[in-house]
Amino acid sequence: MPALIEARDLTKNYGSQLALDRVNFNVESGRIVGLIGPNGAGKTSALRAILGLTSYRGQLNVLGREPFGNRAALMQEASFIADVAVLPPWLKVEQAIDFVAGVHPRFRRDRALALLAKTQITGKRRIRELSKGMKTLVHLALTMAIDARLLVLDEPTLGLDILARRSFYDALVNDYMDATRTILITTHQVEEVENLLTHVLFIDKGRIVLDCSLDDIAARYAAVAVADDKITEARALRPFYERPMLGKTLLYFEKPDLGRLAAFGEVQRPSVSDLFVAKLS
Amino acid sequence: MNTYLWLIRREFWENRAIWIVPAGIGVALTFAALFGRIDFGVAISAEQQHMIGPTVLLAYGFTFFAVMSIYSSWYLMECLYADRKDRSVLFWKSLPISDAATVLAKLFTGVIAIPLVYFLAADVSTVLMAFIVSMRAHAYLGSVLWQPELWLQLHVLWLYVILTTAVWFLPFTGWLLLVSAWAKRAVMLWLVLPPLALYGIEHWFFGSHVFGSQLTERALGYLPRAFYDRSNPSAWTTTAIGSDAITAPSSVWHVLNPIGFLSSPATWVGVLVGAAMIYGAIQLRLRRAET
Repeated sequence: MPALIEARDLTKNYGSQLALDRVNFNVESGRIVGLIGPNGAGKTSALRAILGLTSYRGQLNVLGREPFGNRAALMQEASFIADVAVLPPWLKVEQAIDFVAGVHPRFRRDRALALLAKTQITGKRRIRELSKGMKTLVHLALTMAIDARLLVLDEPTLGLDILARRSFYDALVNDYMDATRTILITTHQVEEVENLLTHVLFIDKGRIVLDCSLDDIAARYAAVAVADDKITEARALRPFYERPMLGKTLLYFEKPDLGRLAAFGEVQRPSVSDLFVAKLS
Repeated sequence: MNTYLWLIRREFWENRAIWIVPAGIGVALTFAALFGRIDFGVAISAEQQHMIGPTVLLAYGFTFFAVMSIYSSWYLMECLYADRKDRSVLFWKSLPISDAATVLAKLFTGVIAIPLVYFLAADVSTVLMAFIVSMRAHAYLGSVLWQPELWLQLHVLWLYVILTTAVWFLPFTGWLLLVSAWAKRAVMLWLVLPPLALYGIEHWFFGSHVFGSQLTERALGYLPRAFYDRSNPSAWTTTAIGSDAITAPSSVWHVLNPIGFLSSPATWVGVLVGAAMIYGAIQLRLRRAET
C-alpha cells in the first residue's frame, strides 16, 4: 500500500527565503505523526503544501493526488484544523453544523451533536460569544464528525489553558483515532503530544533532521547521567549532545553500546523533547 | 441542497444587512405613506392622474435600486477580504468546496441575489404604499396605482435592469472582486489608487485619455444601450403638472432594447474583461490563505 503522504524534494520559498529545502518524507496510514520544529522551521509551510493551500516545487502526493489545485477533492478525505481561532465569529453553532452537513458528504451530524452535547455549548450561540476553549471544542466536534482518512492539526492547542489542552488530546485519541485514520500534528510544545505520537519528524531550517518511530528512538538513542569524575572517560564514547545537571552531566548517544554505557550509570530512553533539543543544538 | 445554495445561504448569514437594509427602507417608506403629505395642492387632470401612478411607482423602485447599488458594491469589495481578515478562510478551505465555487457564489450573491432581495422589498413596500394611499387619498389617486398592466411593466423593468446591469457592469464587479481577493489591508485604497495611477501615467506619458474615456463610457454607456432614447417620439408622452412638465415613456415596452444591448460589441468586451478579472480573483483566492 502506498504512503498516504509522499514528499520528494519538496521546496517552498517566500522570495529569497527558503522555508522548505528539498524535503523528503513519507507518512504511512494508521500513524500519528508529530511534525516538530522551532518557530520558523518550515512546519506550517509543509502543512500548507500538504493541504493544497499553497504552491510548491518538487513532488508531493497526498491521498493519491497532487494537493495544489485539487484542494476541494482532497478535502473529501482529509480535514484540518489550522488554528483554533478560524471559525468565523458571526457564525452560529447550529449554522456551522448545517453548513458542513450540507457541503460535506462524509460529515455525520449525529456524531457532531453527540460531541457538542458533552459541552455547555448550545446551537444558538455565535462563535464570537464563546471562549477560546469553547471555540476549539466546536471546531473539534465539527472536524471529528468528518470521516476523514487524514487529519492535519497545526498548533491546535495554541492559546488554550492546560485543561482544555488535555481534553483536546484525550478526545483525539479516545474518540477519534482508529486504524483507518492518520493524524499529522505540528506543535512546538513537544511534551504535550509525546505520549500519543507513533512517529516523529523533526524539522529545522527547512530540512528534516530526524524521521523515525517512537520505538526507533528507544532502540537508537540512549542517555546516561555521568558523574563529573568520569566525564572524560564517557566522552570517549562520543556523545552527540551534553546537558549539565546538578553535579552530573547528561550525555546523549546514538546507536550506543549499552553494555559499556551501563558502567557510568542508569541508561535512560531520552524523551522526544530532550532528543529534539539535542538534535537541534 | 447543493453546494452553491449553501454558499449563498452562508453569505446571507454573514451579511445580515442584505435584508435588514431593504427592510428598513421599506418600513421608512411605509411610514412616509402613512403619515406624509399626499395632497398635490393643484387640480389634476385625468391625463395627469394617469402619469402619477407610474411616476410614484418608479420613484419607489429607484430609491431601492440606488441603495442596492451602493450596498452591493460594498459587499463585493468586502466579501473575499473579510474571510482573510477574520482568518475564517482557513475554515472554509478545510471543506470540500473549490475556490472557484466560493468566488462564483459571492459573485452571484452580489449581482443577482442581493438585487432580488431589494426587488422583493421594493415590491412589498410598493403594494403597502398603494394600499395606504388608496385608503387615505381621494379615490382617483388610489385607482391610478392599481393598474395590473403597470405592475407587470414594473416587474419586467426590474428584472431587465437586474440582468442587464449584471452583464454591463461586469468589469466593475470583476475589479471589486479582484481587489477583495488581493488587498492585505486598505481595500478602498487598492480600489481607487491603481485606476487613478493608470489614468495619471497615461496622461503624463502619452497625453491621451483612453483609459479615462473607457471608464466614463462604461459608467454612462449603460442607459443608451439597454434602453431606447427619445428618437421615437410616439413612445414618449409629455404631461404638465402645475408649472413642471414630465416626459415619460408611454409604456415600458417602448423603451426596453434587449436586442440592441445584446448586439452591442461593448457589452461583450465588458463581459470578457470582467470574466478575466473574476478568473484573477479565483487564482488569488487559491493562493492566499492569510491577510
